[in-house]
Amino acid sequence: MFIIARYELSRLIMTRRGLLSLLAFSLVWFLILRYPIYSAAQFFMADAPGGIIVSFFNSTIINNLLSWQVPELAVLWVIALYLFPVFCVVLTADQTASDRARGTLRLLSLRAGRDTIFFGRFLGQLLILLMLTLLALLSAVALVLMRDSTLLQPSLHLSAIILVNMMLVLLPYTALMAWVSSMARSARQATMYAVIIWIVCSMLTGWLSRQFPGLSILDMVLPGAQVQSLLQLSGWNTLSLAAIPVIQTIVLLFLGRVIMQRSDW
Amino acid sequence: MSLIQCTNITKRYGSTLALDNVSLTLEAGAPIALIGPNGAGKTTLFSLLCGFLRASSGDALIMGHQAGSKALHGRLAALPQDANLDPRFSIGHQLELFAKLQGFIGSKAGNEVKRVLQQVDLSNTYDMKPEALSHGMRKRILLAQALMGSPELILLDEPTAGLDPPNVKVMRSLINDASKNATFIISSHNLDELEKVCQSVVHLDKGHLKGVVDIHQARNSGYLTVVMAELKTTDQDIRESLLSLPGVTAVSFNAPNRFVLEYDSKQHSNLDMLLMQHLSEKGWPYRQLVNGRTLEDQVYF
Repeated sequence: MFIIARYELSRLIMTRRGLLSLLAFSLVWFLILRYPIYSAAQFFMADAPGGIIVSFFNSTIINNLLSWQVPELAVLWVIALYLFPVFCVVLTADQTASDRARGTLRLLSLRAGRDTIFFGRFLGQLLILLMLTLLALLSAVALVLMRDSTLLQPSLHLSAIILVNMMLVLLPYTALMAWVSSMARSARQATMYAVIIWIVCSMLTGWLSRQFPGLSILDMVLPGAQVQSLLQLSGWNTLSLAAIPVIQTIVLLFLGRVIMQRSDW
Repeated sequence: MSLIQCTNITKRYGSTLALDNVSLTLEAGAPIALIGPNGAGKTTLFSLLCGFLRASSGDALIMGHQAGSKALHGRLAALPQDANLDPRFSIGHQLELFAKLQGFIGSKAGNEVKRVLQQVDLSNTYDMKPEALSHGMRKRILLAQALMGSPELILLDEPTAGLDPPNVKVMRSLINDASKNATFIISSHNLDELEKVCQSVVHLDKGHLKGVVDIHQARNSGYLTVVMAELKTTDQDIRESLLSLPGVTAVSFNAPNRFVLEYDSKQHSNLDMLLMQHLSEKGWPYRQLVNGRTLEDQVYF
């Protein structure tokens, strides 16, 4: 499984498509870092406790973010929570789809079990996401240190919290793409399946929880369901919501595994 | 323990029956051909044996293990008809992954890749992308991945499809060399090629097993095949003339200018000499005289 996962990592750094994705991500991230993060952090710092931002928005989320010791990382946290899942869906769409269409999976399956391929690829995608998240965090920490070099320790501490939480947030998205990829024959088809499943599930769960208020737990079915609540927490308290993405991931991986085991290649 | 033991295998694709209750036992040894017309179920049987497909019912045991089971990794190799390597990675990089998955560690993986690439005479393609190669070279690369390690059973699905004659010859020679160490099962439409390489034939038609034929045994049991040059004489006249030869019990005409004589080989072992003499006396030049029948005649006529 680890051989396959490591091979996935080489997909990012040894192929033209992977390098282009990396370049695109770096450029987008540079722009985010330079403008929204840098500017918003300046704005946050200029605002005194009880200042204009709090009085204007007056929300628990804003209050919570203003309490962060490193404002750059507070802004990064919000942006990453909403933006990284989109990157994740695009990056991880082709876990097995095009290899299935090309017949490469057949060559692999003569040497590795279907579970090994499925979970190896999933693990590989997580490694790629871990690398990109680390890259984003390190660049933000560098930005912080350029402003104030005494913030190294709190920056590293907050980065660790963000890293763990981001990986937890991205887990079910990656698992969702592993599942749909096991049914698709191209990355585009996998993304379409994901969009369809997403829309149908959100409509269905929304309707069910309106009809049956006792079923409000259904709001937690979709990946990212905990993000709003996550923004109201700080520090390692954020892990109190970890069970939601972990359970979602287990369910989605189970569905993907069933498809992988039963499908004809 | 048999190399392959299929028991009542059925495979359906929706309402289409691709394989119907096929039972088959094959032993290790000389290469085995898997033949049949389009839609006969060859690729389905091939894919079931490789574990790419699941049978709707029935059992396929390979070397005592269920088809597709982990125990067969590294022991069963294959060249699937439509499989291709990833165009984004170099050939060496991809084959190294296969070698590592087969248990080759560190530099041994690279060495194994170099060995098989050398075996198919494509050592120089290690750093090349698959797209940079011709169709024939890509087939040889796929054969190279099948030769990796020491598989006991190698299944090839249409290994010569789309290849030019020189590449067909290279492929045949590679299979001949490798068949000393492994049993090959080759699915193909090219009966002439199969005849040169294989010892026995599994014949499928419309999802049914028609039979398992030993090519050489069947070939020598009282048949002569004569291919005539272009003649003005009608086929019917030639047939009647050949039937008049002593010991000839039947003459069939399955292709232009090609006649198959069935005769009593025990009583008339010198029929080939008589036939040549007869053709000479008639002034009918012939192009080829084969002791036996072609594979095509054996299985289709």
